[in-house]
Amino acid sequence: MPIAELVPEYIRSFEAYVPSCPDPELMRLYGVDHLHRLNNNENALGPPPAARKVIQDFEAQRSAIYPSGDSFFLRKTLAERFGKDPNRFLVGNGSCEVIASVIKAFCEKGDNIITADKTFAVYEWVAEFSGFQARLIPLVNYGYDPEGMLAAMDHRTKILFVCNPNNPTGTWWDRDTMERFLRRVDGRAIVVIDEAYREYVDDERFPDGMELMERHPNVVVFRTFSKMYALAGLRVGYVCGQREVVEYIRRTHIVYSVNGVGQPAAAAALLDDAEHIAATRRMVAEAKDLLLPAFDAMGLKHVSGAGNFVMVETPVSDSLVYRQLMRRGVMVRTMTGFRFPNWIRVSLVQQPVMRDFLTAFREVIETARARA
Amino acid sequence: MSPLTSPRLVLELAPDQAFLPTAAAAAENAAQVFGLDRQGSLRLALAVEEYYTYLCRFAGREEPIRLTLTQGGTFVRASFRFRAGEVSLRALNFAAGVDMNADDGTEDELGLLVASRTTDRSSLELSGADVYQLCAEVDRSYPVGEPVASPQHLTAPFRLEETPNAGLLQHSALLAAGRYPARLCPRCFHRPGRFADMVASNQYRVLAALDSAGRPAGLLCWRASGRRGVVFSGPYVFTDAADAALGAETARLLTERFLSLVARTEAICAFSERPTEDLPKGWFEKLGTLLLPERDDSGHLSFTEQPAFFRHLREDVGGAVWAHPDLFPFLQREYDALAFSRDLLAAAAPAQSQLPAHSLLATSLDRMRGLVVLKPLLDGRDFSANLGAHIRALEQSEGDEAPAILLHLDLSEPWQGALYPALAENGFEPRLILPHGGNSDILVCQHVHADR
Repeated sequence: MPIAELVPEYIRSFEAYVPSCPDPELMRLYGVDHLHRLNNNENALGPPPAARKVIQDFEAQRSAIYPSGDSFFLRKTLAERFGKDPNRFLVGNGSCEVIASVIKAFCEKGDNIITADKTFAVYEWVAEFSGFQARLIPLVNYGYDPEGMLAAMDHRTKILFVCNPNNPTGTWWDRDTMERFLRRVDGRAIVVIDEAYREYVDDERFPDGMELMERHPNVVVFRTFSKMYALAGLRVGYVCGQREVVEYIRRTHIVYSVNGVGQPAAAAALLDDAEHIAATRRMVAEAKDLLLPAFDAMGLKHVSGAGNFVMVETPVSDSLVYRQLMRRGVMVRTMTGFRFPNWIRVSLVQQPVMRDFLTAFREVIETARARA
Repeated sequence: MSPLTSPRLVLELAPDQAFLPTAAAAAENAAQVFGLDRQGSLRLALAVEEYYTYLCRFAGREEPIRLTLTQGGTFVRASFRFRAGEVSLRALNFAAGVDMNADDGTEDELGLLVASRTTDRSSLELSGADVYQLCAEVDRSYPVGEPVASPQHLTAPFRLEETPNAGLLQHSALLAAGRYPARLCPRCFHRPGRFADMVASNQYRVLAALDSAGRPAGLLCWRASGRRGVVFSGPYVFTDAADAALGAETARLLTERFLSLVARTEAICAFSERPTEDLPKGWFEKLGTLLLPERDDSGHLSFTEQPAFFRHLREDVGGAVWAHPDLFPFLQREYDALAFSRDLLAAAAPAQSQLPAHSLLATSLDRMRGLVVLKPLLDGRDFSANLGAHIRALEQSEGDEAPAILLHLDLSEPWQGALYPALAENGFEPRLILPHGGNSDILVCQHVHADR
């Protein structure tokens, strides 16, 4: 029997994500001696000092010992930071793992999830390769559409995913919008608020999921140490919710998946983050001050809200721009996969790298325009 | 409809002529059940008879031949899956028996050629180590529609419909057929019932644009091509010629949504099949041109240079390709123009003594489009002669309407890369690269007729 006949239809039709090659291989392929990574929204400043020290002090001998299976001390630190019971936190190998845990906990055959069409892809991917329908609501003015999401709900809707701020547009719902939305959901489904980029927002109107979940027990919040805290290489993310909700998620959650360096480094990152966050926000603001007027001068449309990234529309295929920039040692994220064909997303980092990017980008765009 | 969930009939038959009536009767019966008329059913049954007779002689004896008869929406397919075993595969060449100075009684070997003439499409593919799939397809009959050329007064705003009903599809197809030259329209646009059925059975995916009053304003359609690609036709816009801005906006809307829809599928690349002048500038990269047949309104066939466009749906992760050094200048120039990063590895031809006597070429013949695609399946000492025999057989079998003959080399296979000198000997020229068109990139070569 052909192997394909053993495979469920929803797996056959699903495309596995192919990560990019390691940097040295990419540099060899594209013939460059450096590579500015502007594709993954990493924090180029690196981790806060206390986290850095934990990593530097990690003894090789400790690699022989299993880490805490449920990130015991990290959950305790999170509990102290947010004034909640440690059992209301679950830590995962990045937030992608906790997305899978939540979907597995609440969805069964015939159920659906709702999110936006142009947002972080993993909600949609995990739902689909698990055999659940992902209902994708078009963005309105680059932002999530609460009315569209509510209208798409039915009795089989189990989870609504709201990426706030949204990746890749940086738009976000303010407190009033979020509150109205939650009232109208009225506990009929779990509402996941993914706050991966929340530390980049400096605006008192921004809603705090940690506070919302106290009044709306169906709210679950995702946060990550991969973005602002610059621990992407250690893969630590977490979910927080009401105790009953988290208990159900725990049943589907993998234990021992968070490594022994990541757990203490993440805990340490929370202890001295004020200056780190301020410095990162300054870096992002300065990068925007450089890039946005340059895009305007080139006559290119751009979108930037909260977060350490900006999207810019390109006059030619984004995948061509990617390849041309790679030949100049600059790696950006193409946006076709986010359903924004002919846009790229650029991470916002220090000025020298931003200037290198601009030089390369101008060359690529001018060449493309000359050929058109 | 997925090939695995289509209505179908499956038989496992020992490779024994005694079962020939069983195979033929099953094909005829299934063809009727699956919607072919009497003539179409007989055509399919004849093809199955010829193929089965052939396979009884040449397929491996160690396991049965699996015959699958599938309802494909607008066609019925007979597909033989068999293991080659230790027998010679030479007989599976489309051109076997036509030439090659065979001395082993090739009279019966005209079977594949005869069988292919009774079908609308036929193909041979390698579907696993030593496992082959021989397919014949016969189309259902549909009435011809009258293209609609009358001008339309459309009003913005336009919206897109991802699941248009059959009526809208048929009308849109006739509008496109009335506004664009035949070479830019799938032939099913002239048989709109067939087009609607192709969409219903997932042979085509479509996007329709509608104006504020729900009138058809545009169309774009696409289909899977291999495991990692989609090929599209369009965009077709139905606005008045005077309203160029509205037309351009319609084309942009269709193209943008099309890319959004295929972006998170298993497709890596989108290729143009029939790109119209309305394709938005800058959204696709030109790969080159192919000399393809075009039938004018009077039915006359001529060859014209037609551009091929492509768009990557992902970030390219680089890679290595194998090719004969004679191809390096062409490949370097093309890869550089596309800004693709590839390691070019020199593929050396194996010593003749290490090769089996006979090679094997897969032949896909689409008589409707006047297009043949050859793919090498097995190398052999007779490769160059075998290729030459295929060219002659194809040109002779199609008479005055000699098809365009393309040959695809999968550059992930060193032995295929090394075949290029034999291609050049037989009048093939490299025309373009299809990035990620196969296991890695595909080099498309075209046979150059002396008189074109």
